[in-house]
Amino acid sequence: MSNEDGAGPVVGPAPLARSEAVIESAALTKRYGPVTALDELSVAVAPGITGLVGANGAGKSTLVKILLGLLPATSGKAAVLGYDCATDGHRIRTHTGYMPEHDCLPPDVSATEFVTHMGRMSGLPATAAKERAADSLRHVGLYEERYRQIATYSTGMKQRVKLAQALVGDPRLLLLDEPTNGLDPEGRATMLELISRIGTEFGISIMVASHLLGEIEQICDQLVAIDGGRLLRADTMSSFTRASEVLLIEVNEGGEQLRAELDRRGLEPVPYQKALLVRLAGEETYDTVRDAVADLGLPLSRMEQRRHRLEELFRGDGTPALETTGAADVR
Amino acid sequence: MSGDGTAAAQMPGRPATSGVIHDIGYRGYDGPRLGRAQITRALCWHSLRSAFGFGRGAKAKIVPVLTFAIMCLPAIVSAAVIAVSSNHQRMISYDTYLPQLRIFVLIVFIAAQAPELVSRDLRSHTLPLYFARPIRRLDYPAAKLAALFLACLAMIEIPLLLLYLGTITQVRGGSAIWHETRALIPGLLLGVAWALVLAGLGLLLASLSGRRAYATGAVAIFFFLSLTLALLLTQIGEQGQGPAAGGTSGLARLAGLLSPFTDLDGLRMWLGGTTRGLIPSPGSYGPLYGLMFLVFLAAGTGGLVARYRKVGVA
Repeated sequence: MSNEDGAGPVVGPAPLARSEAVIESAALTKRYGPVTALDELSVAVAPGITGLVGANGAGKSTLVKILLGLLPATSGKAAVLGYDCATDGHRIRTHTGYMPEHDCLPPDVSATEFVTHMGRMSGLPATAAKERAADSLRHVGLYEERYRQIATYSTGMKQRVKLAQALVGDPRLLLLDEPTNGLDPEGRATMLELISRIGTEFGISIMVASHLLGEIEQICDQLVAIDGGRLLRADTMSSFTRASEVLLIEVNEGGEQLRAELDRRGLEPVPYQKALLVRLAGEETYDTVRDAVADLGLPLSRMEQRRHRLEELFRGDGTPALETTGAADVR
Repeated sequence: MSGDGTAAAQMPGRPATSGVIHDIGYRGYDGPRLGRAQITRALCWHSLRSAFGFGRGAKAKIVPVLTFAIMCLPAIVSAAVIAVSSNHQRMISYDTYLPQLRIFVLIVFIAAQAPELVSRDLRSHTLPLYFARPIRRLDYPAAKLAALFLACLAMIEIPLLLLYLGTITQVRGGSAIWHETRALIPGLLLGVAWALVLAGLGLLLASLSGRRAYATGAVAIFFFLSLTLALLLTQIGEQGQGPAAGGTSGLARLAGLLSPFTDLDGLRMWLGGTTRGLIPSPGSYGPLYGLMFLVFLAAGTGGLVARYRKVGVA
């Protein structure tokens, strides 16, 4: 791993070092003069599809540049596929495919020529580059069109070519920056489906950066939320979902009694208008509430499951107490 | 695949499946991967091909093919003349070739093709895709510079080699061939110096703009304007002195430093070239021409390094 110049051929995929995480950072900080783009970011991303969510300017693209080894961090460490971003950038880039947010395709060549060339640039020998370019374009759903000049493509087709050029080098990790940008609703759905398929069927880990949480939450196994260069939260999708599901209980009388009883049973109820909210941890939550109401002999008038959207958790306009009771950050 | 085909053929109700692309699932790649040096070489080769319009449409081939043909034409004519004439004397010198023609054709070639190598990638924002791959940032301009250098070298040296071949097939005796070869070598070496300076400056100027027209304009204007200025000042210097005064003025000897072409011509004479060229012999100012050659080289390569350090990555 000391061979940073990488002049010699790199044979085969390298094994993941020690950690199972595909991306790991520890107190990663990047400052541009007085501006702090990343602030002590510590996160471990497991294999699978990960959403990197944050508003524009949250530090997503700075993080991506550091992960690709293109930008040195001010302090802290980061590793991708077990390789140190500061010293093994070329190894990371050999096994990582990157799809930028902006337009990056030359108009006057065909998709086949372009993706083949990009395959060569990923380190594939000529024949392999041709084969894999054809494969990649087929996987993203470009068939006869791929022999036409890119200038004649629709936005959706261009996005697919961008994805194909990231896929051509047989990466073990894909970094996709706003892949649904500029697409109509149908195009977005298709692109998300494609990403989901690459992640699940092809077994390639994917990090999707997006400012549209509602969109990528459908396809992600885990989420990393950043804001102002800080980690808001990183967790598996299921615990995000669990945290976002609440049970609303309303009794005609004895609300305070019930609250004390539920608290005693460890449900941490929160008053909400005339009702109570508890976090829905699973089937047993229903049982606990039923038993508590039955034991107190209270007239139960309403019990319903509510789902708070993930955005509300981040924005902080959900139920405040519940928001902070989510699973612990991966710090 | 063949299994699918036969199954379909046996089922009368089903339409033929030929022509349908079957999704055979994802296949990984376990073969060897090229290292950084090999990828850079692949990029250089790809760029060299595109400098001559290969791998592009027919329109992209017009300028490189035409300029190359014009460059070779005098050598071919020379061979024909030598063949029919009685004294078998070569009329064109290896170290200058036809200076005006060579300069004009090279400016057209570089102004048209240097943007092809660098401006397209700037214009379509393709650079981040290169930088997100195993090569390092400065490998990109290095590959492009090497490609344009080789392209210029081909434009300069191939006509010289044709001229040489056209001559030695007509002369008699080993000593005559040796004489020709000895005359050719300085010409070839000077060609290397030309290609180095022109590729560096041309590529730097082209990389300043993603707009192809601007890039072409920048290259053409720089080379034409500096050459015109150098020749004009040389002429003024020569007129001021006059041949009757029996010497060449300092202005006439120094003006050649202003343009890469006249500088290369001065360098040639300082190194011992005797053929009459574009400017009067620099005389004792010769070392200045050598120095200026290095300055042009450093400006081209150094400028490219600075340019590609600065350009955005992702």
